[in-house]
Amino acid sequence: MKPLRLPNTLVLLAGLCAGAALAGTHRLEDPLSHTVPPTAQMEWLPQTPGDRDGGMETWVRVNVQIDTRDWVGRSGRIYMVLPRDQASSIEAVWTANGPLRSGRLVSGERALVWAGTIAGDSLRDQIQVRLRSGPDWQSASRRLNFHFELDTD
Amino acid sequence: MMNTALRPTALRLVGAGLLVAAGLQAVPAQAWSLSLAAASRRVFLHVGNGTANGDNGTINLVTATLTGAQLLSGTPQAMTSNSTQSGSLYGDGYTTCPTPSTQVIVGASYRRSNAANGPASATLRVTSPASLTNAAGDTIPFNQISWTVSAPGSGAPNVIPAGTFNGATQTLATIPANTYIENCHTFSYANSAVRAAGTYNGRVTYTLTSP
Repeated sequence: MKPLRLPNTLVLLAGLCAGAALAGTHRLEDPLSHTVPPTAQMEWLPQTPGDRDGGMETWVRVNVQIDTRDWVGRSGRIYMVLPRDQASSIEAVWTANGPLRSGRLVSGERALVWAGTIAGDSLRDQIQVRLRSGPDWQSASRRLNFHFELDTD
Repeated sequence: MMNTALRPTALRLVGAGLLVAAGLQAVPAQAWSLSLAAASRRVFLHVGNGTANGDNGTINLVTATLTGAQLLSGTPQAMTSNSTQSGSLYGDGYTTCPTPSTQVIVGASYRRSNAANGPASATLRVTSPASLTNAAGDTIPFNQISWTVSAPGSGAPNVIPAGTFNGATQTLATIPANTYIENCHTFSYANSAVRAAGTYNGRVTYTLTSP
């Protein structure tokens, strides 16, 4: 009985330690990322015959700092993710100034922002983000929780 | 003894491994987040000359100047306008009122961001005094003035209906949330009675409300 139990334990721990090395999707830490301003107020867009309810829009600047220390030397693709928070969708369109790619996503989706081999401890950029939505929110305010995830090769 | 001593050790290791695994799942990674407030509820109304999404203090004047013969004829008289607003403020600049010299464009919108942000509609009303008056105190009932409506190219030219002022407050239209309506109003003077000479003035006020 004794020889059987120890190998089982070691296999479990080895599996836990090897998880980071496996190809797959991994959520990245970015505790130093922040928006300017920290809160934002949507403004009405003009109503037009082609966009009858017009919708709402706001702009924010985001100082992005993604912690990549655990992934130096690994190649893969980093995506920005906006989980769906309610039925009313948010569209984010951003322009990057540094290593990240400009792009667009709608809540519930993710969009590629970087690809290659991770060379340093962090990825930093400042992105200008335009947020738009329809006038169909479920509440007067909401919190958008973006995050980044890495698909390793 | 060996067996009993090893079992707890093995269990502790397995337990510690599960705790690590549980910790990885339970603690979410940091991310950038943003607290976002919806746009404030808003009504927008323009009568005659207006400014898109802005204030405009212009009060346009609608006029009928009658000759003696016209006065005696009893025939309704078309009224002219000093409005110069021919283009829509509905984002596309469409020429809704091609002849503003005889028309007054009326446009209104009501916007809300969610169902709890206000009532489902706003109400467009117009209030007229009982009479127009001249310097001598003579009067003409305001119900002598009426209007027709038009909106070239629109599938709903009567979205604000034609009518006659009644010397009180009249409801003209109900505007559902996140809707813009507009059309052109062309005024006429009924001329149904001979009046004392003079210049008669009166002001009507359009209001858009969402309580």
